[in-house]
Amino acid sequence: MSISQLDLRKFVAPEFICGYGALQLAGRYARNFGMKQVLLVTDPGVRAAGWADAVAESLAEADIAFTVFDSVSANPRTRQVMAGMEVYRSEECNGIVVVGGGSPMDCAKGIGVASSNMRDILTFEGVDRVPVSAPPLICIPTTAGSSADVSQFAILTDEGEKRKIAIISKALVPDVSLLDPEPLTTMSRDLTADTGVDALSHAIEAYVSNASSPMTDVHALEAIRLVTSALPAALEEPGDLDLRFSTLLASLHAGLAFSNASVGAAHAMAHSLGGACDLAHGRCNALLLEHVMAANYEAAPDRYDRIGAIFGPGRVTPAEKVAAFRRSLGITETLADVGVREDTIPALARCAYADPCMVTNPRSLACDDIERIYEHAF
Amino acid sequence: MSMRSEPPDDRDALRAKIIGLGETSLHKSYYPELQSRLAELERFRALLDQTHDAIFLIRAETGELADVNASAETHLGYSKRELLAKPFIDLISPTKKTWLAEFIRESSALLSKSGQTVTARLVSRSGTEIPMEITVRSVTFGAERYIVAIARDITDRIRTERELRIKESALESSTNGILITDLAGTVMYANRSFAGMFGYERAGAVAGRNLETFFADPTVGEKVTARLLDTHAIVQETIGLHSSGSPFHIQVSGSVVQNDAGQPLCIMLIVMDITERILIDQMKRETYAQLGKNIEQFAILGDHIRNPLQVIVGYAEMIDDSLAGKILEQSRRIDELVTELDRGWVESANVRHFLRKHGEDRDSPLQTDTDSSTLKERDT
Repeated sequence: MSISQLDLRKFVAPEFICGYGALQLAGRYARNFGMKQVLLVTDPGVRAAGWADAVAESLAEADIAFTVFDSVSANPRTRQVMAGMEVYRSEECNGIVVVGGGSPMDCAKGIGVASSNMRDILTFEGVDRVPVSAPPLICIPTTAGSSADVSQFAILTDEGEKRKIAIISKALVPDVSLLDPEPLTTMSRDLTADTGVDALSHAIEAYVSNASSPMTDVHALEAIRLVTSALPAALEEPGDLDLRFSTLLASLHAGLAFSNASVGAAHAMAHSLGGACDLAHGRCNALLLEHVMAANYEAAPDRYDRIGAIFGPGRVTPAEKVAAFRRSLGITETLADVGVREDTIPALARCAYADPCMVTNPRSLACDDIERIYEHAF
Repeated sequence: MSMRSEPPDDRDALRAKIIGLGETSLHKSYYPELQSRLAELERFRALLDQTHDAIFLIRAETGELADVNASAETHLGYSKRELLAKPFIDLISPTKKTWLAEFIRESSALLSKSGQTVTARLVSRSGTEIPMEITVRSVTFGAERYIVAIARDITDRIRTERELRIKESALESSTNGILITDLAGTVMYANRSFAGMFGYERAGAVAGRNLETFFADPTVGEKVTARLLDTHAIVQETIGLHSSGSPFHIQVSGSVVQNDAGQPLCIMLIVMDITERILIDQMKRETYAQLGKNIEQFAILGDHIRNPLQVIVGYAEMIDDSLAGKILEQSRRIDELVTELDRGWVESANVRHFLRKHGEDRDSPLQTDTDSSTLKERDT
């Protein structure tokens, strides 16, 4: 598929406020949206770290009532979404504030659309299948990678089918993102690395996407630059707010890029893998990205070379540079190491092939091609 | 760009606003206004739910229910969810189902603002048929046409109407004349018996006349109303005036009808034609008088017999004759007969006294009005 800058493109971004103390604006924005009763979505880890309380304090200062919903796990389940919807409706909420990583944010998006449409969340699977917009959603990310706070994606796990579903709709783009570096300081080293590589995956896949545009390119390249420069340092200096803020900006840029250009095979395959094996999304991306890059290279060599150049000079391929980068972050496993069985590859490939992210991959991949990529990752 | 110089604090606040960090530096959003409108709708919805009438919003194309208020749920015993799964026509009694479907179809086609009203029975979940007065009106929301049906439970009204009809029939079929007037004595209602008693062809011909029309003495009507407003109840005998102009004896029982608060509403009179009874009373009085005279004459007759008999007995006792015993025997028998007649006279007097006492009591047991004019009228 040849790409021209004259091709029609659309760019949607939420309002976002970035900087130290942004979290404390939650109450003001909730009030300005006319929220009277807020559903505060979070997860137990974020709550234990004290960030849910900090947001709750801001809401209380703005004189806004709230109900906390923290029954959210990693790879959030569709049943958790429906449980949240029940709380939202029974408490007569009229807005959602979420503080957390990608899992609480995707769950909060699901709660929003299920509540406004009064339907099971599974019925929205696919693209543009949300007829009624969700209530206002204010996001305070506590990780730097999912970019769910600015994206049109919500990835949820259908436990019954052991697969991840993607809900893609401009109606899922949050209303406001409050990007505060401070909550990132309580992330563990592994979570920092996984989410950082997730942001890198978003940026690389958006840049080589067949739906990329000059606007998304700017954000994608800046995201790659920020990840490569700030992420290793942030792992070494986890309390450094400037480094954390750089990773947060990297995630923001990557989010703006992939929310509009979408992603590709690495994400499609990571969704399939995460759904079947309940693995962390960032880790799945980290283990697959270099192999997808190698498989895709011939479809967009210039773009991949430009990505490789950001990682530094050298004769190795961009994929090899990315592989070296993730190993430098301490992510050294293979799929086999994380417990994936080789006999599951055909099923994983079929599921990945059906994922909506696959349609913007720069190269059209058949199921056999996808199986081959999985095999390389073992 | 030139700007007025501002104090440093104000300039900082202005700067914050310009870069979108002011307290109310809002991104364009319809949500707060939407929330406000929703709150308004919810208030209106609460009002609709408070009304006793059941309100149904029906999709004109399919006949399915699009919305109902809380009263519809209460009346019919279904939940809102259950009602919204039903066509409206399924709630109608089978006897009127087809007819009402056609009525709604025709009414909705009229796009009338005033609406059409019909009476039909709705069937509740328990199978009870509830008589309803249903007003249907066609409305259009967006591109879809709906029918609003407002159903009012008329169970109480039907029962009240039935009771009123029974009461009205009772009034009409009474053999006594019944008259209802306002507090000034103007006739509001007269039953058939009253009209017939006073010689009017129709009861309607009596309405609007004043009470004075019906008495030989026109002032009696005014006295009756005044007395009623004072004492609230009367019973009196007087002389009525037939429409032909001829007088006749009547007994009037009257009372003031009051509302629950004790305020007088109207006057109700029950009128009986007592001409026949008055004539009988007169005949009885004459008969009693004649009886008295006869008994007195009989007593005198006894004395006229007993005195000579005493002389005869005296003579017979003094003579020595074989017939003396026979004379005394016959005299004794005559005395016994006269004594027996005396005893009969005493008993007759008791009976006459009894008849007079009880006959008169029965003839005027409820006499409350001792008005001299009334007494005079009775004497006549």
